[in-house]
Amino acid sequence: MLLNSWSIALLLCGLIVLFLMGLAARSAIRVLLFWNPESDSNRQIRLENEIWLTSTLVEYALGIQIISLIVFVLAANFYSQSIAGAMCATGSLLANSFGVPALLVKIGGVFFYGFWIVLHQLDIHSEQYPLVRKKYLYLLFLIPLLILDLSLEILFITGLKPDIITSCCAVVFDDATGGGSNLIGGFSHGLSMELFYGTAGVLIGIGSFLLRQRQRWMVVLFSSGWLWFFLLALAVVTTEFSSYIYAMPFHKCPFCILKPEYHYIGFVMYFALFMGAFFGMSAAVIEPLRFVDGLESGVAGYQRSAVKFSLLFLVFFVLVSSYHYWRYILIGGEG
Amino acid sequence: MNSRLTQHLNILDYALSSLWRRRAKNLSVLVVFSWVIFLVASFQLVTQALTETAASVLRSTPEITVQMMSAGRQIGIPLDVSRRLAGIFGIQDIVPRVWGYYFDEVSGANYTVMGIAPGRMPLLDRLQLTLEDSGVYDSESRGKAIIGRSIRRTMEEKGSTLLSMFRPDLSQASFEVTGVFKSEVDILTNDLVVLNIEDARDLFAIPSTMATDLCVYVANPAEVPTIAKKIAETLPGTRVLTRSQINRTYQVVFGWRSGFASVCLLTALTAFVILAWDKASGLSPEEKREISILKILGWETADVLAVRFWEGILVSGIAFVLGCTLAYAHVVFFNASLFKPVLIGWSVIYPEFRLVPSFRLDQFLLVFSLSVLPYLAATVIPAWRSASVPADSALSGM
Amino acid sequence: MLIELKNVTKIYNQEQVNEVTALREIDLTIDDNSMTCLRGASGSGKSTLLAIIGCVFQPTTGRVSIAGKQLSRLPDRFLTLHRRQYIGFIFQTFNILPTLTVQDNITLPLVPLGIPPAEMRRKAAVLMERFGIAHRRNFPASQISGGELQRVAIARALINNPPLILADEPTAHLDSRLSEEFMHFMKDLKSAGKTIIITSHDPLVTEHADVDRVLDIKDGRIDAA
Repeated sequence: MLLNSWSIALLLCGLIVLFLMGLAARSAIRVLLFWNPESDSNRQIRLENEIWLTSTLVEYALGIQIISLIVFVLAANFYSQSIAGAMCATGSLLANSFGVPALLVKIGGVFFYGFWIVLHQLDIHSEQYPLVRKKYLYLLFLIPLLILDLSLEILFITGLKPDIITSCCAVVFDDATGGGSNLIGGFSHGLSMELFYGTAGVLIGIGSFLLRQRQRWMVVLFSSGWLWFFLLALAVVTTEFSSYIYAMPFHKCPFCILKPEYHYIGFVMYFALFMGAFFGMSAAVIEPLRFVDGLESGVAGYQRSAVKFSLLFLVFFVLVSSYHYWRYILIGGEG
Repeated sequence: MNSRLTQHLNILDYALSSLWRRRAKNLSVLVVFSWVIFLVASFQLVTQALTETAASVLRSTPEITVQMMSAGRQIGIPLDVSRRLAGIFGIQDIVPRVWGYYFDEVSGANYTVMGIAPGRMPLLDRLQLTLEDSGVYDSESRGKAIIGRSIRRTMEEKGSTLLSMFRPDLSQASFEVTGVFKSEVDILTNDLVVLNIEDARDLFAIPSTMATDLCVYVANPAEVPTIAKKIAETLPGTRVLTRSQINRTYQVVFGWRSGFASVCLLTALTAFVILAWDKASGLSPEEKREISILKILGWETADVLAVRFWEGILVSGIAFVLGCTLAYAHVVFFNASLFKPVLIGWSVIYPEFRLVPSFRLDQFLLVFSLSVLPYLAATVIPAWRSASVPADSALSGM
Repeated sequence: MLIELKNVTKIYNQEQVNEVTALREIDLTIDDNSMTCLRGASGSGKSTLLAIIGCVFQPTTGRVSIAGKQLSRLPDRFLTLHRRQYIGFIFQTFNILPTLTVQDNITLPLVPLGIPPAEMRRKAAVLMERFGIAHRRNFPASQISGGELQRVAIARALINNPPLILADEPTAHLDSRLSEEFMHFMKDLKSAGKTIIITSHDPLVTEHADVDRVLDIKDGRIDAA
């Protein structure tokens, strides 16, 4: 399935990100070897200048990675037209063993690149640039992730054989059929809704408390809660809310909500969820940096903003994702 | 946050003025970029329009088609096999079809001849709607034919008033043409001859106990794969085709054709990216001076990078809108004359159907990923190099 | 005490074949609200000294303090942030961008600061009025006279209301009338409380009555005489 426009676009995005991050990594190695802020040599001046290059490269890479994630899902949807048994992106992704891992690695990548940018912003707001070494070491660890991303993508695309039967979303996500083909299941309806709204409520509570008074363990709890909520929300959207959006009880799929027939509501929902999760989790990611010289106020300031934004996105996400469900429960009929 | 937004707006304003001040250089990049996007976007729109046309054409075909095979080739299917399928739950109707290809030696074209049993084919009452004004579809009478437009053209060239075709024993069968299909349905009917089923049997010498294939209509589309499987099990020696399989085959063919053309377009894109890199890299002494002045006046490297970023976004944004608009016009008003031959393939009779592309966000994102992203990536390093011009070069002794 | 340099040395291309020592062990203190002149031949290091005072780059060794802030070993970014707040530059040949209008040239230092455009125009208007160039607001800088260019350059240096003004060979390409006019403006600025440092070897500048101190720079050192 390599020879079509979507595959070419995906591979192009992957190669571009690899190129940009490869350059950034080259810079990172030079910084790690030669960085000496006390020095006034030409090399040090050049390295200080290169900081702007690497940050720009990572920012572009993040932007392209986000677009690549969206293109990946849309491409999977396109492939489903050529794969027997696949009704939408879910079917394509399950057609071989590389689809879902590729998606998960891409999602992870978005978060990890984002965290780098947060570190960078904190670093450049302190006069000592205290995080230079940590930042570039972290960047080097992103490279294997990147290579994994591209490899899984290539393996997924080349592994797609148009005549292989796969399961489509109605089979995979249907509660009625049990067994190994069930990707997401095991929660009863009532329990998953309770967990969903319960976790959202707890997050709002902790977040509101944090906005008034900062406590270290609360920050960690908040971020861990966000990680849990992120995964839970993806499951609940798939198993519960999506079928109300489609107005079809057996159509449970996390990808079809991105289609124009449903007014692209999936993009709005996932945008809010990803942004909220990113801000929520990043609060704890930078917590250990509080004790680094010169970063105390920067970390505190960012954490405040991050908590605030994550709560706003959380409320927005809960409202948008629940709308069709509650509309049906309360009024009946399609949303 | 407010001042961050204002900061970016001010920088955007500066970027606009900077682009305008160097308009000769930027215009050349813009024109070439728009052209590349035009090519990529037209291509995508055509592919998408063809795909959707194919899908909509298929919507009215039977869910399952059963063909009898012998030594890997299709042969006639006996009508009594439909009795053996009667036990399969979920089948709405089984309709025999008699059809085949007729090679007309004079025009060198292959006609598709379809025999229709009156009252058996679903939606038959709609056939009248697909004919040109003066056309009449008479399902009962023998000796009458409905033809596609290119066949009429051939007849007019030959000066014939009757459609004459030859049976296998070389005796002639003549048909009065009572209707011609409209141009809107060219894609299906251009080379089609519709006859009464007995006339078709007579023309091809197919006995009344046989049919070319069987159309199986199924009520619940979700059950099609199950029923198809059961039919295949009940009737060994047959090929059971589902509508989705045919659709998938079209998708794969369109897919690889469009992929092949995408690869060709990639060379155009690569050439453009190199051009963009080259243009962005060339820093004139005036530009260097301008940047060092900005730096000494208090602009950070990040601020100059922001100017370059917005310049890139503006150029690519304008090129994208221009390219996509021209592509749409190309496909709609000029019927994609540049690309159709590549995608539609060879045929003696070219259907003159119109392409109707639709605006879909995913198509735009695809074109964006294939064009704007490589451009932006190509300009990162030149942008940084220009932002790295040191402040001290603005001072006299430096 | 606005400016303090202690034992400042600047070496270009350190540890390379073309290593050059531009400044050697400079000790310097410049008071608030004073006008100081740095005089020296080209290659003497006066431009380097001006650049260090102007937070354009770091010394190789030694300490620099401007407006109470220690600047040694600060990354370039923070030098820039300090510079944009505390220092206004006037250049030889003015370094006005010819393709921008007078108003746009004057507001150039404000663009990255996140100040609303209306506010930027208002600040520029005040200065243009003061220097009598308001009628040239929308003219491209390439179309105004030398004297008007000079005023644009000074207005631009003042747009952020910096306490320190640095002028780098400002009268090098001016006739005596414009040079005198320039010094007149500098005198006004000094009266308004600014600190001014000018590099020049023009006698019209170095011998001007309002110059408090003239420092001779030779071979990277301040001449004791």
